[in-house]
Amino acid sequence: MTQALGEFRHSDALSLGVELELQLVSRRDFDLTRAATDLLGSLKYDGCFGEIKLEITESMIEISTQPQTTVDAIAADLAGLRDTLRIHAERNNIGICGGGAHAFHRWPDRRICPGERFDVLYQRYGYLAKQFTVFGQHIHIGCSSADDAIWLTQALGVYVPIFIALSASSPFVDGEDTLFQSARLNAVSAFPLSGQCPPLADWADFVRHCEFLQACGIAASIKDLYWDVRPKPEFGTVEIRVCDTPLSIEQAAALTALAQSLSRWLLRTRPPLSTERQVHAARFNKFQACRYGMAAQISDPVACSVRSLGDSTCELLDALEEDARELGCAHWLAALRAVAAGGGDAAWLRARWQEYGNLNDVVRACSDRLLNGAVKHSGKKEKFAQQQPGRQAH
Amino acid sequence: MLEFLSDLPRTLWERLRDSLYFLPPFPEQIDSLALFSLLLLLGMLIGEWLQARTGWPKVIGYVLAGTLFGPSLLGWISIETLAKVRPLADAALGLLMLEVGRRLDLGWLLRNPELLRSTSSDIVLSCLLIFLFAFYGVGLSPAWSAATAAITMASAPAVVLLTVEQSRSQGQVTERIILHTAISCAASFVAFTLVLGIVHAEHSRNWINAVIHPLWVGVGSLLVASLAAHLALTIARLLPKGSLAQVFVLVASALLAVGIARMLAVPVFLTLFVMGVVLAVRDERQSLRYTVLPEGHWLLAIILFVVIGAALPWSSFTWMTGLQALGLLAVRAVAKMAALALTGGSLPVKKRLLVGLGIQPLSATTVFMAYELARLYPGIGLSALTLPLFAAAIMELSGPALCWLALRRSGECHDDRPVRGGIA
Repeated sequence: MTQALGEFRHSDALSLGVELELQLVSRRDFDLTRAATDLLGSLKYDGCFGEIKLEITESMIEISTQPQTTVDAIAADLAGLRDTLRIHAERNNIGICGGGAHAFHRWPDRRICPGERFDVLYQRYGYLAKQFTVFGQHIHIGCSSADDAIWLTQALGVYVPIFIALSASSPFVDGEDTLFQSARLNAVSAFPLSGQCPPLADWADFVRHCEFLQACGIAASIKDLYWDVRPKPEFGTVEIRVCDTPLSIEQAAALTALAQSLSRWLLRTRPPLSTERQVHAARFNKFQACRYGMAAQISDPVACSVRSLGDSTCELLDALEEDARELGCAHWLAALRAVAAGGGDAAWLRARWQEYGNLNDVVRACSDRLLNGAVKHSGKKEKFAQQQPGRQAH
Repeated sequence: MLEFLSDLPRTLWERLRDSLYFLPPFPEQIDSLALFSLLLLLGMLIGEWLQARTGWPKVIGYVLAGTLFGPSLLGWISIETLAKVRPLADAALGLLMLEVGRRLDLGWLLRNPELLRSTSSDIVLSCLLIFLFAFYGVGLSPAWSAATAAITMASAPAVVLLTVEQSRSQGQVTERIILHTAISCAASFVAFTLVLGIVHAEHSRNWINAVIHPLWVGVGSLLVASLAAHLALTIARLLPKGSLAQVFVLVASALLAVGIARMLAVPVFLTLFVMGVVLAVRDERQSLRYTVLPEGHWLLAIILFVVIGAALPWSSFTWMTGLQALGLLAVRAVAKMAALALTGGSLPVKKRLLVGLGIQPLSATTVFMAYELARLYPGIGLSALTLPLFAAAIMELSGPALCWLALRRSGECHDDRPVRGGIA
């Protein structure tokens, strides 16, 4: 059944929202475990930091912040959500960790969550739905107009490799080192409507494109489009979907800062997009970023040349400094310079593997890193900690 | 005619022996090892058939095979055969108890006070109500009432672990069934050790036994377990984590503990349980934390349950003891269900009741503890412990089904559809 696209809901320009998909692991062996429904069922939480929701399989959980205008507020929400989850997970003897993919779980052991939507997805995609037990960070950037949203969707597409490399945290799959920095996106690319957004001129063009997909029976609604960057009309945002869930909420906040300052810089300077050319390089560049991270050689289809992704990232961070300062998130970008220079979460995971010699301990270290992070939630929302029975998240 | 046919093999064999000097005399009876292997095959087939047709745990099939072919019914397994395979059964139970001990997660209890409340209530209520039933309802002496309570208050770790493993269930109900089982086992073993002294005190004027025997059992188990665990951890630290060599070290250390416990007349189930707990607590470097038992322990589990089935005293069955055993099981069920329902917790009541249902099994540890106690005063012990033995006999067959039902109803089994159309 097709679903009408609806109006683009306008939101404050450059407002933010973040979704993180997190792993639920057994504290005994740190393999993924089926725990999401029980965890949510026992959750006493009033929703003050955002939502905690089921994802497609029982070993995943999604947290999403409230809409915020600053990265600091996003970080505080994420810290509040993490602390809420930590308290309830400890009572249920469940571990929680970040990372784009679990290092050694067996996908046939995964259980699809109860719910009509998840059942439909499982019926449609079969085993791909279980293999979709991968974990990403989605960053929403508010747009004040529908046309801006489409333009920003196209403009951000060029920077997808940078987001992939900075967030890469899934080097292990099925207990093996994949040699990729982010192996998660290989699971996503199996879906027929994944990939980059096609060249679109404006909102009207986007509506025509969606109607075309619906008429051809390719997509029933915009939810079927698993593009790397896509407009989200019901929120009035553009959603960046290519990031692995980082190992810490500090890194998640840093990536949000990059998204916000980059969007401001793009909307302010309005560089030419050359989308017709970019579309030819997009898949290649994405692969390069997934495989090599910051060491990737990225194709520039406009200059007809190849550049190091690490160099491009450092230059971009320099260029964004002023916008980041204006937005009050410059301090968050500093962490990304360290990633560009010395390796990020994927390198950290490999170092832990070298140190421990087994992946169970690597996942244990991941869980410790996420749950014992430095960012604390804001004091004004302390009421959550009193554990008052309240609204349950759905 | 029949006589001729039955004598034919013997006649042919003897004729062959005239020319083939190396042949032994005609075997008068089947070798006990061969017979037992055949029974294992039969037990496995019955278990697999039961699971394939009904989805029920295979354990029931193994017990059925042991009961059917054991001394009480067909008599194919003799008392002597049972004695011969006892070391294997000890090893099987020991490995399963080791695993339960490793699962005793005291940290979870500290992080969840409601869980501490429910496990404590389970232990106290079960022990108290069973004691009162045995003392007032059945009329046993205080010592044997206490013994009955001590050995039947806990759930059956072997049944629970095998049912969970077979159904590949995961979730809060599963985890809590395992935790309740492990905690109640620990409490049951402490009570069992104390009861040894009480039984001596009631039946002997020699107070030395009443004091020394519990100490021998308690301290002996702890020492043997600690030494074996220390040895396992020391060697395991030198090996790659999760490697086959580590699996070997774990199994070999466990079997060493089984052997020493048998030599010192210290209960194997207690020693291996304590070894599991020590391994979990002392393994700061996580050396053996992720090392799992090899698939082969299933074979040992079949042996264990066939032996248990054969060891059950069905020949002494009377309707009165049967009714008393049912009464004990009813009281025990009420205690466990009430403990789970009334103590609150982070799980909904329905799921807590499923945990209560899942911890109903009563099996190998009860039978082994009962025979340990009965051995002290053979004239009195076995008749005094008929009640818990019959309760265990009933639960051997129904307990795995109840545990399986709880896991199934909780929706935590890997595949809720029974496999149909053949064995396995």
